[in-house]
Amino acid sequence: MNKERSSVFSGIIGNNIVLSSLMVVSPVIICGDTLKNAAALVYAFSAITFLSVLISSFVPKKLSYTVKVIIYAIISSLVYIPVKWAAQEFFPGAVERIGIYFPLLAVNSLIIFRSEAELYKLPKNRMIIKLIFYILGFDAVMLTTGFIRELFAYGTINGRIVDVSTPVIGLAQPFGGFIFLGLFCGLYRWIRSIVISKKEEIRGDADVSGK
Amino acid sequence: MFLVNELIALLAANLILTQALGTSTIFIAAGSRKNLVGTAFMITVFTFTGSVCAYFADKLLPEKYSDFKLLIYVISIGILYVILLSAFYFISRNNFENSRKYIHLSVFNCAVMGTLLTVSGKASENSSITEYMSAGLEAGIGFIVAALILTAAYRKLNSSKVPAAFRGFPAMIIYLGIISMAVYSLI
Repeated sequence: MNKERSSVFSGIIGNNIVLSSLMVVSPVIICGDTLKNAAALVYAFSAITFLSVLISSFVPKKLSYTVKVIIYAIISSLVYIPVKWAAQEFFPGAVERIGIYFPLLAVNSLIIFRSEAELYKLPKNRMIIKLIFYILGFDAVMLTTGFIRELFAYGTINGRIVDVSTPVIGLAQPFGGFIFLGLFCGLYRWIRSIVISKKEEIRGDADVSGK
Repeated sequence: MFLVNELIALLAANLILTQALGTSTIFIAAGSRKNLVGTAFMITVFTFTGSVCAYFADKLLPEKYSDFKLLIYVISIGILYVILLSAFYFISRNNFENSRKYIHLSVFNCAVMGTLLTVSGKASENSSITEYMSAGLEAGIGFIVAALILTAAYRKLNSSKVPAAFRGFPAMIIYLGIISMAVYSLI
């Protein structure tokens, strides 16, 4: 039961879609250079993915894989339209700043492929919880990336100047995004391996004392 | 000199190294020669034929309905997806099982959809179908070039000499970052 529960909640840390599966990495690399961009992407990704997966979960499972994938993509590109209109209202200028990465979020692999392979096999309530945690996992990575890259590349936090003595301008560039994400990914895996080995150690001790 | 200029232009316009489109797919493609050929071929087919669809969608769709552009692209790629699967099925049923995974992998891929959106974004009112087609082909070739660059270092980046936390994906992203930095200096 505990294992099942942790697998549902694993989307944020244990099985993060960006750091663990390298899904939806292009917006993180290219647009995650400021907190403002990150916030707009968080909104777009969360709204499009949640609504699309939820609506797509009603698509009959009997259909062939190809037909289902096409329907999922059509649903998400329809969901994209009102989300874009809302973004123009609440995040003025964000749609232009993010450019092609905004519509690209509508055909992200979590909606098109991961949901079919994993989420739709679960009961609805578990699917929704798991989906929310996957989305929160992306949001956490996006905001962290936006915060750190903006701080070190521009010396600002959400547009406000802070005292950073030597800004690393390259961090705002695509190559800076690649290198930052690679380091972030490595750090995440290092921490995860420590946590897993500690858990196994504790489990091993518990087994010995149980015997 | 002409070839050098063309190579520089190809690198400068590379969608993976400059726009990070199709990053996760390239890791699959770089894994083996078979995957590289299969994935790169399918991506190129989709970007090339998709650009033709994008041309007609851009020309026929009135400006006030531009928000529906993504939907039109998705439907076009969906139709191409079915056509390609059917074509492979009827041409060679024996090879269909092996080749269809590359079609599934490439359809609605960031590299494909991103190419259509980029081509459409850069196009002007007077852009011809050949400009769309050449941009689509260029994107496909760019994917192949980036995949080849990654393939060259794939084994080393996955070897036991790399610290466990950085082995594989993290090392490959950093490697792509360094290549991207070199390309950035050319622009």
